[in-house]
Amino acid sequence: MMTFSFMVILPLLLHISITMVMKNILVRSLDQIPYELWIFPGIILIIASMSTFSMIYRDLFDLRIHKKSFLPMTLAPYSKTQLILGFLITSIVETTVYVIVAMAVLTVFLPTPFHISTYFIILIFTFFYTFIIGNIIITFSVVTDRISIYLSILLTMFLIILFGTGILVEFEFYPKTIGIILSNFPLSMFLSSLRELIFFNRIDWLQIFIPIMVAIGWTWVNGYLLKRKLKQ
Amino acid sequence: MEASITLKKVGKLIGDKTILASLTFGIERGSLVAIIGDNEAGKSMLLKVISGVENQEFGNVYINGLDLRKRRLSVISSIGFVPHEIDLDPWLTLEQNVRFMGLMYGVDIETLNTRMIQLARDFHIIPHLKRMVQDISPGIIKKGMILRALIHDPDILIMDEPTAFMDAESYRQTWDFLLRLKGKKTMLYVSQTLSEVEEAHDRILVLEDGKITLDGSLDKLLGSTFDYHQFQIEFEELSDDLFEKLSNVPKVKNPSRIGNSIHFYGRERNVFFAVLNAAASSVMKDISVNKLGLQDLMDAKFARDGIH
Repeated sequence: MMTFSFMVILPLLLHISITMVMKNILVRSLDQIPYELWIFPGIILIIASMSTFSMIYRDLFDLRIHKKSFLPMTLAPYSKTQLILGFLITSIVETTVYVIVAMAVLTVFLPTPFHISTYFIILIFTFFYTFIIGNIIITFSVVTDRISIYLSILLTMFLIILFGTGILVEFEFYPKTIGIILSNFPLSMFLSSLRELIFFNRIDWLQIFIPIMVAIGWTWVNGYLLKRKLKQ
Repeated sequence: MEASITLKKVGKLIGDKTILASLTFGIERGSLVAIIGDNEAGKSMLLKVISGVENQEFGNVYINGLDLRKRRLSVISSIGFVPHEIDLDPWLTLEQNVRFMGLMYGVDIETLNTRMIQLARDFHIIPHLKRMVQDISPGIIKKGMILRALIHDPDILIMDEPTAFMDAESYRQTWDFLLRLKGKKTMLYVSQTLSEVEEAHDRILVLEDGKITLDGSLDKLLGSTFDYHQFQIEFEELSDDLFEKLSNVPKVKNPSRIGNSIHFYGRERNVFFAVLNAAASSVMKDISVNKLGLQDLMDAKFARDGIH
């Protein structure tokens, strides 16, 4: 019940604190999309990020540093990469539930709801987005041994996601060089691809595949890091 | 008999410190082997290396003839490991913890349920299965950890202090069950409770500074000490002079004192009478004579130098 309440309250809070404020500053995007519609996929990805943070913390970092069931898990007949995939899939499944509830809640506030196919597209992108961000968090969960450092890293990551991936404002508003650098960040590429697809029906396959390939490689690296960390 | 576990020149380092020093030995299938030794002797690390929790830096560990490091995924299911510290998830029930690990090992639901109930009955923890781990006492949790280690029916059970935190009844129930597994599963355990090791064992390995200093059955280990007895005399007042005088009685071995008691070893009973004669003028409160046990063997002096 507590979890479900949080699932409902979180998108409401983000709508109140971000969308309702920002839409008065940036009424429309540079491509003339109403701000409430333009930011919708971004808000969903913020929720996906927050959900992934908590899932990976619960399933990996907390169990590892507090020695709760983690060691027996590593003794089960699976490779470390398979274990990492297990953590990722768990977080993807739970994040999907969070995102479905969030989309249902936020749709109430949209001036015109999206077509049903748009919601499916957002869900599919969320799936891959969680795959990427999950890998990033898993890396920190494996290499960090102190909660204080881990939380600082998560907070920093959250700020980077919020302000450095084009969720709130377009990269055209950033200084040119910084905008170019940030737009080539895998998470930014994914978000901009999602917006291109939703609002202009254009697909930039390269911008979709590069982050996915990076995430696949990253999963393997995480498996290696876990193996090294455990000395197994 | 066939070896279940074989170590060949296994070495383990932590930083520059040698924790395990070129260990070579085998453990027969179905046997019950205890590892004892002082703190920091390397006992827990040895269990971790054999169970695959940590890799060794040198040498090889073979489980049922297969190299644990090279064929890890093939052999790891043959091992059940019970660590010393409690490591169940406190936010799950005991049953959920066990079930989760059973599923991790690919045990089908029906077998999992049957085996879990049977083992829980053997360990007398059926009433605790549905309780959250955070609400259960550590002794019961430890039983649950052994249950969890057995849920995938491994050939080898490795336990670090299997009866830690347990009360007398749980201790008896646990050993009663473990002894029934003898012959069916290879069991290797570490214990600091030497009376526990004396009661249940096939073989005892004494580890000291990462090396095996003694290896054999209890009778074999105590064989060289069969003639010896341990004497203890409590005086109303044991002065330094009296202690010195008694220590110098011929054939008194390794004298030591605790308060007003003198403690020593002797090969012949007449040593005891010689001491009594020497102390005849002092008031004695209590006297005890015992055969030597594992505790005496583990006395640092004995382990290193024998009785002298």
